[in-house]
Amino acid sequence: MSKTFSRIVSIALFVLGAAFLMESGRISESAYGSNVGPNLFPMGLGILLMLLCVRLFYETFRYPKEEGEPSVKLDYKRFLMILGAALLYAMLLQPLGYLITTFAFLTFSFQVMEKGKLWKSLAIAAAFAFGVYFLFVGVLEGSLPGLPVWFR
Amino acid sequence: MDTIQFLMNGFAEALQWHNLVFAFVGVLIGTAVGVLPGIGPMSGVALLIPVTASLTAGQEPESAAASAIILLAGVYYGAMYGGSTTSILLNTPGESSSVVTALDGYQLARQGRAGSALAIAAIGSFVAGIVALVGLVALAQPLSAVALSFGPAEYFSLMLLGLCAVSGLAGKSMTKALLMTVLGLLLATIGIDSVSGVARFTYGIPVLYSGLEFLTIAVGLFALGEVFKTILERENGGGTIAKVGRILPTRQDLKDSGGPILRGSILGFFIGILPGAGATLASFFSYIMEKKISKHPKKFGHGAIEGVAAPESANNGASGGALIPLLTLGIPGSGTTAILMGALIMYNVQPGPLLFTDHPTIAWGLIASMFIGNLMLLVLNMPLVKVFAKIIDTPAKYLLPIIIAISIFGVYAVQYTTFDLLLLIGCGVVGYFLSKHDFPIAPLVLAIVLGPMIETNMRRALTISNGDFMIFLQKPVSVLFLAIAMLWMVVPLLLKSRGKNVIVSEEA
Repeated sequence: MSKTFSRIVSIALFVLGAAFLMESGRISESAYGSNVGPNLFPMGLGILLMLLCVRLFYETFRYPKEEGEPSVKLDYKRFLMILGAALLYAMLLQPLGYLITTFAFLTFSFQVMEKGKLWKSLAIAAAFAFGVYFLFVGVLEGSLPGLPVWFR
Repeated sequence: MDTIQFLMNGFAEALQWHNLVFAFVGVLIGTAVGVLPGIGPMSGVALLIPVTASLTAGQEPESAAASAIILLAGVYYGAMYGGSTTSILLNTPGESSSVVTALDGYQLARQGRAGSALAIAAIGSFVAGIVALVGLVALAQPLSAVALSFGPAEYFSLMLLGLCAVSGLAGKSMTKALLMTVLGLLLATIGIDSVSGVARFTYGIPVLYSGLEFLTIAVGLFALGEVFKTILERENGGGTIAKVGRILPTRQDLKDSGGPILRGSILGFFIGILPGAGATLASFFSYIMEKKISKHPKKFGHGAIEGVAAPESANNGASGGALIPLLTLGIPGSGTTAILMGALIMYNVQPGPLLFTDHPTIAWGLIASMFIGNLMLLVLNMPLVKVFAKIIDTPAKYLLPIIIAISIFGVYAVQYTTFDLLLLIGCGVVGYFLSKHDFPIAPLVLAIVLGPMIETNMRRALTISNGDFMIFLQKPVSVLFLAIAMLWMVVPLLLKSRGKNVIVSEEA
């Protein structure tokens, strides 16, 4: 159990709870035909969240001392590269279409996971992108942007 | 007699060719999901919701919902079975409810009896599936009849009980579980308020008017969270896979496991009904029980076939049992059933007492399909166990990016917004860090599903009582639920403060 992480979470959620509490004060108090307005539930939850955050923060002082357990070395480089690629994939899906973005994301990620066998990576990425597109759009008649807007 | 008639109608629905295909695809994918380390039943079901939504797009709404839920439930209990394969062959449980199976299963595999262990696991899962089915048929109607008499106050307290039960048992710290629950409830308030029509916390952003989509959050937290974990921690499986060997169990194996299978199935079913106590606890308890009543307890941990039979039947029994509160009361008792409930709501089907009267095709079709699905699992797994064992060899290099691509495709195919894709990836990152630091995710997802209903029922009850909160304490049934909820939270705390070990459900 990481003390620091729990403290960061408790502070962040405390702020979130306070924000919900304040903002729910701005929602109109009553609803037509009901004594209980749409502000009551989020207001109560905001207070509850803040109280729980205080409790969690207090609990962190009682955490057992962090032992020098063999910490796993996290592979941040690989993770950040794939995360970045996924974010680009998400943002470019609409303008560039499904086929190009999926193919590019998969090829890149396969190579980030393990370099080499480029042809195999290209083949699997292409098979997945075209396969899913064909099944979804061709067979199931779903709607998915296939190619870039300027290309169509 | 009505029940039998309804069940027959259910079979008529489940035996339609397209539903047979859905059940088959469901158990097949479910088994694969269970076998693959890195995706559990929750992420498997969440990932497949959008896929099923597109598969059923051409059908009538009622029949589409029935087909979708048949497939998703198939994934659920298929995964419960598949998890045992890796436990036995690789000593790496595919999902947390198979942890106990690994204790004896892997020992059996090392003794060259992996085939028998896998076969007993399949038979145990089948028997448990049937026991759960009988239980569902027997309890569904009476329970939903009772639930029909509930007013908003009783419903509010019942849902609170469901949330407390899941939070009380989830993860190592109750404060963290409660924090996640309240956060989920708060996130559920974003969007247009269904009672008054007022926009809450939307700040004029159009995508927020319909609220945060449950599907996006569930797929992000569970599926992407797991993928990110595997990438960051470089968990690429590894280990050597034991040879499967002879598949048919010996007569002695069958004799030894008959009792444990039956006891495990019944125990698992009843534990499954309890909210919060998931398949993991069921398999754990049944293992301990068998060890206690065994004439040779020392055999356990060294390759006792009973040590595979009991937990495997218990975890499948529990997944059947967990459907009871979902279908009859509309209260999911675990993360996976919360996701199933979310799927039903997506189809405009409200699980709960009215499900059996309003949508008998869906309710009974699902129950009947479970019988067929379990039969398929047995037939499929006995001869194909060697093929499934090969799935473990799928290189992580290809698997992980493909899971990310499926998540993105799935969410986009249902939501069509870039916002949801970014939210999905964000939830993946948050999900990884939260679960790494023991913040349980299942209560958050459960709260997002139950949030709107809890709020609506609370406000209805308060409208009836003119804003007097005492209404929740004036109705006897409501008080009973609140008292049980309180006990569910307080008892583990008391036990902990007395230095006793409290079992937690990590699978939820």
